[in-house]
Amino acid sequence: MKTVRMGAGSGYWGDLLEPAIDLAKRGELDYLGFDFLAELTMSLLQRAKRRNPDTGYIPDVVPWMRALLPITHGNGTRMVLNGGGTNCEAAAEAVLRVARDADLTQLRVAAISGDDLTSRIGEFRQAGVTLANMETGERSIDEIADRIVSAHAYIGSEGIVEALAGGAEVVIGGRLADSSVYVGPLMHEFGWSFEDADWNLLGAAITVAHVIECAGICCGGMSSQWKNVPEPWNMGFPIADFRQDGTAEISKLPDTGGLINQWTIKEHLLYETHNPADYRMPDGIADLTTTRLEETGPDRVRLWDMSGRERPDMLKVQIGYTDGWIAEARVLLPWPDTMAKADRCEEIIRKRLDIVGVTPRELRFDRVGVDALAGPLARRPRRDPEEIELRVTARVDSREEAAMVNREVTHVSTIGPVGTAFGPPVKPREVIALWPTLVPRDMVPVNVTFEEI
Amino acid sequence: MMTTLNDLAYTRSGDKGDISNIGIMAFGAAEYEALRTWVTPERLRSFFAGVVLGPIQVYELPRIQSLQVVLHDALGGGATQTLRFDETGKSMAALMCRMQIPTALLRKGEAG
Repeated sequence: MKTVRMGAGSGYWGDLLEPAIDLAKRGELDYLGFDFLAELTMSLLQRAKRRNPDTGYIPDVVPWMRALLPITHGNGTRMVLNGGGTNCEAAAEAVLRVARDADLTQLRVAAISGDDLTSRIGEFRQAGVTLANMETGERSIDEIADRIVSAHAYIGSEGIVEALAGGAEVVIGGRLADSSVYVGPLMHEFGWSFEDADWNLLGAAITVAHVIECAGICCGGMSSQWKNVPEPWNMGFPIADFRQDGTAEISKLPDTGGLINQWTIKEHLLYETHNPADYRMPDGIADLTTTRLEETGPDRVRLWDMSGRERPDMLKVQIGYTDGWIAEARVLLPWPDTMAKADRCEEIIRKRLDIVGVTPRELRFDRVGVDALAGPLARRPRRDPEEIELRVTARVDSREEAAMVNREVTHVSTIGPVGTAFGPPVKPREVIALWPTLVPRDMVPVNVTFEEI
Repeated sequence: MMTTLNDLAYTRSGDKGDISNIGIMAFGAAEYEALRTWVTPERLRSFFAGVVLGPIQVYELPRIQSLQVVLHDALGGGATQTLRFDETGKSMAALMCRMQIPTALLRKGEAG
């Protein structure tokens, strides 16, 4: 039975590079996929592109391709990535420059566009699309319209299938859904189409894609199994062998670190999937509740009985908009009387902010080591801790107000308790808030362009 | 007699916007039955008082003996705008581990 072998080369922008190189060399892969994008990334890239029109893609694409292309070009492994960010064409050109520098020939690269809706907001509003916030519901997009930085649709596999059918060896997309990086190659290889789809097979493809798309995070990274994970510093990234009948095996290369067992796969099936019977992706809706799994060997788990339903008519869109500033500052308080010192410092800072007339939208005091993670659930320590970091954060309207908060935290070391230690200040950061919404799929056509050497 | 969830299951949490989700993977069938019975949105509401401000859902995955807990308005506005040090709520799973669960539920599960 035909089996497609796919490796995950990256789960986020900044991930390890060595496991991808290892997979390219030893994986005997049909495809190597890369996810580089988190929810905020497209806004950051859009801003970079506004400053310099030649940027806007994930900068790592260049060193990654420099390391990987000479290996994959010639061994038959094709690469699919969403590292094009907001400028896939520039990313494709950068990849071709890398190829030329490495004296590679006969290489075809495809760029997928259409996901960028930043300049189309008015058009959607005119067409009667409300762009209501999926999470908060009631608010109107008009409240934030003049502060929008970026708007990108999570697009599916259509462009990838077209690019692969067109002979592309490297396929570069922007806001491709993470799962589509893997679903696209499966659709191409098995000749699946959306018009005549077996939605259970697409559900299986989405489920398997979800398991591997965060790379090392299904292999004992970020894991409840951490005590038993061998050599995380040599983490092996996952491989999925997907069979035509909609079953799959997840494994990793021998002689790599990390761990794959029922727990690491279960914890990833549940990771950020919310309603498990209704895991909505642009290529289909996976029902994760039907999935069965078993360990079939060391670092090897088989998945079957995966299922799904028809893809949604609406695509998710993530809109980023500016929404004030965050100030962050900290002082470190030594024993004795650590808790009392922290309380006194908090009191001083609150009074000082009143005096200078800064009223943050939100003001937070964390006693790091006591309650920074547990918040109201924290148990008060029985003894005064050795030391406490008082972390002060504030949401304010402007950079100037953020700077004033920082200054008042600095003052506490000269007007507050003895021994209050301070370090270099943290720079205020502008907030890009997210506005998730939906648009009709048929209003988001994708376009594929090819370049080659 | 009470036991802690940490003795019955593994947990891991993630985020999407201001929504935190916690996967709870039971060690076995008895643990799964006990957790399924005990971990309800109502109990989570009081357990996470002051942390989770929005609706709470609990989904069951019997084939992998796991629960999916979804907590809305749980991360101070979401990773890009929160004042939390733990912007993405990776430590929410650790809080979940502290929940107290009656051991009697566990024995009932074994008998069943």
